[in-house]
Amino acid sequence: MNPIQRNALLALAITIGLFITMLAAVDYLNNARIEEIGRIEDKIALDTLSLETQFDLLAEAPCKEVSEGSVLSSELNDLAARLSYTEDRLGSDDEEVIKLKRQYTLLEIKDYLLMKRLSKECVDLKPVFVLYFYSNEGDCPGCAEAGYALSYLRETYPKLRVYSFDYNLDLGALKTLRAVLDIKEPLPAYVINGKNYNGLVSLTELEDKLPLELLATSTATSTKKTN
Amino acid sequence: MTEAVLYITLFLALFFQIFALLTFLSRDARMRRDKQRIESNFPHVAVIVPCYNEETTIGGTVESLLTLDYPSDKLDIFLINDGSKDGTAAVMDTYTTHPQITVIHKENGGKHTGLNIGIERTAAEFVGCLDADSFVHPGALKEVLAHFDDPRVAAVTASMTVHEPKNILQRMQFAEYLAGVALRHIFAAVNGLYVTPGPFSFYRKSVFQEVGGFRYGHQTEDMEMAMRLQKHGYKIENAPRAQVFTQAPRTVWALVKQRTRWTSGFMRNSYDYRGLMLNPKYSVLGLMVMPLAVLAIASGLALFVLFLVDTARFMARIITTQGDVPWTHSLTLAFPQFDWFYLPITGLFLLGIIGVAIVVVTLYIGKHISGTKRSIALDLAWYIAFYSFIAPLWLLRSTRDVILGYNRAWR
Repeated sequence: MNPIQRNALLALAITIGLFITMLAAVDYLNNARIEEIGRIEDKIALDTLSLETQFDLLAEAPCKEVSEGSVLSSELNDLAARLSYTEDRLGSDDEEVIKLKRQYTLLEIKDYLLMKRLSKECVDLKPVFVLYFYSNEGDCPGCAEAGYALSYLRETYPKLRVYSFDYNLDLGALKTLRAVLDIKEPLPAYVINGKNYNGLVSLTELEDKLPLELLATSTATSTKKTN
Repeated sequence: MTEAVLYITLFLALFFQIFALLTFLSRDARMRRDKQRIESNFPHVAVIVPCYNEETTIGGTVESLLTLDYPSDKLDIFLINDGSKDGTAAVMDTYTTHPQITVIHKENGGKHTGLNIGIERTAAEFVGCLDADSFVHPGALKEVLAHFDDPRVAAVTASMTVHEPKNILQRMQFAEYLAGVALRHIFAAVNGLYVTPGPFSFYRKSVFQEVGGFRYGHQTEDMEMAMRLQKHGYKIENAPRAQVFTQAPRTVWALVKQRTRWTSGFMRNSYDYRGLMLNPKYSVLGLMVMPLAVLAIASGLALFVLFLVDTARFMARIITTQGDVPWTHSLTLAFPQFDWFYLPITGLFLLGIIGVAIVVVTLYIGKHISGTKRSIALDLAWYIAFYSFIAPLWLLRSTRDVILGYNRAWR
């Protein structure tokens, strides 16, 4: 083998080695992201369970512990952002992404049910719920705009509790929620403080349906209803 | 699609860059770097300066030749006025009485005809050419001639850099030329050069008798000649310390015109000499340098088109998604809090960083071996920031010219 052939083979080996190393590094980083999401989900699950247990122990709502803008809510928002970023990177067909999305959806439903329960018991707790049903399968042209408008609303009104659900996610609890809330196509579909809507896309349309007077008030720690 | 093209391009580019670095470290390249300039037994040489409308630069070019550190009785200079319409003839005529200089005025016939007249008129052993917008370092000739020690060496190229770069575009080209200095040195070590640039390339005169004189060569007679020499089995060497400085275009349009000529010349000459391509007989030139140069043009075009398509799609998506949400919201999303989770690290990003790092190393190799003293940090920054956005302009233009069979004027 002459020096040129030796250098060419060596260059090929180094190039392949660099490709494998870099792709492995990116794979490692993606796994670390998945683990981070899993860790946040575990923490939220634990916090939710803790709140539920407090509820049960006291035989009444732990109103002093919660507010509309609770830590739990901001963690759910953070989790949603990370999950969305990971889904963009790995694709919505990735098994890990689907698994994490199912867990996230379950946490959202649990948080929604818990907050509903708390809002009945705590006098100052008047959360505004938006349940948003979208699709990533190309059958919802307005979903991108609607999702963006909701992210703006969530940032503008920190007390707004937005729960986003992938309409097509294969999850029993989600199907039940859809049935209970009578969610039907066309998408995007919403339940905004108990009322169903379909096809709202723009910020103006969505803002029109929100009880802005509730969102504008500041909220301290809640107190229990007396009657 | 875009990602697949990027991965293929990056793989080939990294392979090429790593091969170049390994070759730089090889014994053959080291020997060439260590070669000392000749200090005795000076051969008779001639330098031909073909001119067309170069009234502003020809004087400086001639003066730099007259300051060459070389015995004056062994150095002839031929100034060929190729039918200039400006004051070039008058400037040239001021040198008619100089004992080393021969001034020839002729009808305009193209650069190759001027070079051939000079070759016919001289009895020198080695013939060099120097574009009339270039200037040589006094030691350059002795450096060049040292590399003719092998009788199979038909031509020796110099280390060409930009003369006094002033604006951003020229500084960008300065960095690019330094990469050229490094790559020309490296690929000379494996006889992989396919161009003997106009500024101060030298030829063994006897070779012209075998292969013939310069031809039109699709306005790139230096490329055509180099490919012809390679086809005849000759070697083309490089003298890395032979410094020559050329005027670089000052405007984007002038640069695009120049590079369109070079790129379309490469495509056309490569087609004329397609027997070199993928031919194991021509080793690195045939199996790596020329095919990768063609692929670089193809991938550059493909990536530019895909970039435009992707950008258009992205903008359409942004506009569709934005709806009536205030634009300030985009800014809050565009600058999120620092979090390792959101670092945009992909395989392409990391491999691109490695590619850029090797480019930087190559430029500094060029700076080192050419003996460039000035700092190149800013030149490098402009090169990395702008080059890939300007290059597609001449790639598109030259590809269109070649496909449509369109021939442009030199200037």
